Amino acid sequence: MTAPGTPATPGLERAAARATARRGAWLAAPGALYLLLFFLLPMAILVVYSFGTRTATGRTLLEGWNLESYRRLFDDVVVRVMWRSLWLAVLTTVICLIVAYPFAYYIATRTARLRNLLLVLVMVPFWTNFLVRTYAWRVILGRNGPLSTVADWLGFADVRLLFTETAIVIGLVYGFLPFMVLPLYASIERMDWTLLDAGRDLYASGWQAFRRITLPLTMPGVIAGVILTFIPSFGAYVTPEILGGAQTTMLGSYIQSQYLGVSDWPFGSALSFVIMALMLVGTVIYFRTGARTV
Amino acid sequence: MEQPAVRLARVEKHFGDVVAVAGLDLDIVDGEFFSLLGPSGCGKTTTLRMIAGLEFPTAGAVEIYGEEMGLRPANKRPVNTVFQSYALFPHMTVRANVGFGLQMQDVGTAEIADRVGRVLDLVQLGGFEDRKPRQLSGGQQQRVALARALVNEPKVLLLDEPLGALDLKLRQAMQLELKALQERVGITFVYVTHDQEEALTMSDRIGVMSGGELLQVGTPEEIYEHPATRFVAEFIGETNFVPVTAAGPDVVALADGTRVPLAASHPAGTELTMTIRPEKVVLFPPGGEPGPPAVTLPGTVTRRVYLGNSLFYDVDLGAVVVRSRQENAPGAHHFAEGENVVAAWEAASAVALDQ
Repeated sequence: MTAPGTPATPGLERAAARATARRGAWLAAPGALYLLLFFLLPMAILVVYSFGTRTATGRTLLEGWNLESYRRLFDDVVVRVMWRSLWLAVLTTVICLIVAYPFAYYIATRTARLRNLLLVLVMVPFWTNFLVRTYAWRVILGRNGPLSTVADWLGFADVRLLFTETAIVIGLVYGFLPFMVLPLYASIERMDWTLLDAGRDLYASGWQAFRRITLPLTMPGVIAGVILTFIPSFGAYVTPEILGGAQTTMLGSYIQSQYLGVSDWPFGSALSFVIMALMLVGTVIYFRTGARTV
Repeated sequence: MEQPAVRLARVEKHFGDVVAVAGLDLDIVDGEFFSLLGPSGCGKTTTLRMIAGLEFPTAGAVEIYGEEMGLRPANKRPVNTVFQSYALFPHMTVRANVGFGLQMQDVGTAEIADRVGRVLDLVQLGGFEDRKPRQLSGGQQQRVALARALVNEPKVLLLDEPLGALDLKLRQAMQLELKALQERVGITFVYVTHDQEEALTMSDRIGVMSGGELLQVGTPEEIYEHPATRFVAEFIGETNFVPVTAAGPDVVALADGTRVPLAASHPAGTELTMTIRPEKVVLFPPGGEPGPPAVTLPGTVTRRVYLGNSLFYDVDLGAVVVRSRQENAPGAHHFAEGENVVAAWEAASAVALDQ
């Protein structure tokens, strides 16, 4: 006889726990393998290359290991491109947040049927290729496009938008807005609305109730939206390439030019790696602090 | 008459085509514990929300201490609510939850700390200030919700089924505690519940609602002893319904013609329903029954159910079967199924209802 409450065979219980863990490992295996092959391995190659040497003819030698590429990260040109990318990504993220929050709130507070319709509409742009949609902006913002025609009518002569930072931000906001709307919608939709009733009942004005209750409770959505918008904006390649000009180079284009333009693989690798490391660290810190507020 | 704490005047609330509240007139007296009792969907919560300012009436007026509320929003009304699901702010500590209302009213930090401390002592939650709601049991969350409302010293406290989520034992303990608390703080309580026992236990007065209408308002005794409608009689407690016909002043006839005294002034021939509570129907062995003015009718026990603290018998009186409930008191005579008995009740215990 065993005492009540103790399992008859403790070994069996441990074996069951191990089996559960094994099953978990099998479930994770395909994803882990994929990431290993197509993310970690290339990443390792990237790191190796970043310590290599570029010959005068543009070949990369995997010898004479040095830190030259990392030193050059602090060159004026590079720092300028970084600041510009950072600034445009921040601007894009802030505009997306300001536009998306009220919109997501509106969607989340509609009836179920209207809600689904609006969500589909948010995703409709994805049905068309991103490149095509960005080229469309080139037409809209171009010299003889609809926007400059309207500006002409209104008396603003010679409004030049295409190939400016403004054009890039317009394109980025357009492209990444859904990535802000969807997580915000998900978190607002999950809100317990009686909490707002309680807030109003406890003398909070509509604005106070929003600031003290709705906003903190939807913070996970805000954080997710900011990350999903900021990271692709910071590393954007297609949009600045198509809508920006020579004076508005962002990181993505700059890295690309290191590989395909000037054939400086070590420097391109160093830049890619450092930016990725920075983003990773930033994201982790953001998640940590964000998790604490909720 | 003294000014009522809350006055509802012909208050209606429609949601689209649905009439949630249909023309409610009600005065709630200053300092009383008033319960709105009814089944789910009867409009009691909507009525409460209209007092709180979380819904606005489609028609009619809500007055609080003589002031017409109109479209005044919830944050500008001198009332606070304890919500059914407590609606505690999950991202705030107990201290921040309870202090929220005071903070919104720009009360000073020192005074907030002082009042929060005192109200938490009042609900016996001293020492829980820094917990988050999810770290509390259901009963403790309920107390926080109560403290969060009470700390504002509202003129009227609205409670929407606040004990609904608690288990039976805790609920019963909280009922007595709430009533004691209400007497101590002297605030008018408006309490919404579908639990008749809860309403009877705590209330000074009860308003019974059904289908958006207020059917009867009265003390627990009045409601229980003299129900105004069949619905009220049935919803509160257990009762017998006996179809009768008016046969003269204060006399009615059962289906088989037997005449029974019953206070009713309906013209002869009117079809009525007589209602009488099972515990008012007392059984005696034949020959042992009391004489007039008690009503006595011979019958046969057709069913006997033993409930521990009491027993109930279904007694066939010929014209109708009535249920009798008897305390399982020491020395009480227990009857067997098939036994001939005499059922007796005081004429005043039965109530005549229109159908």
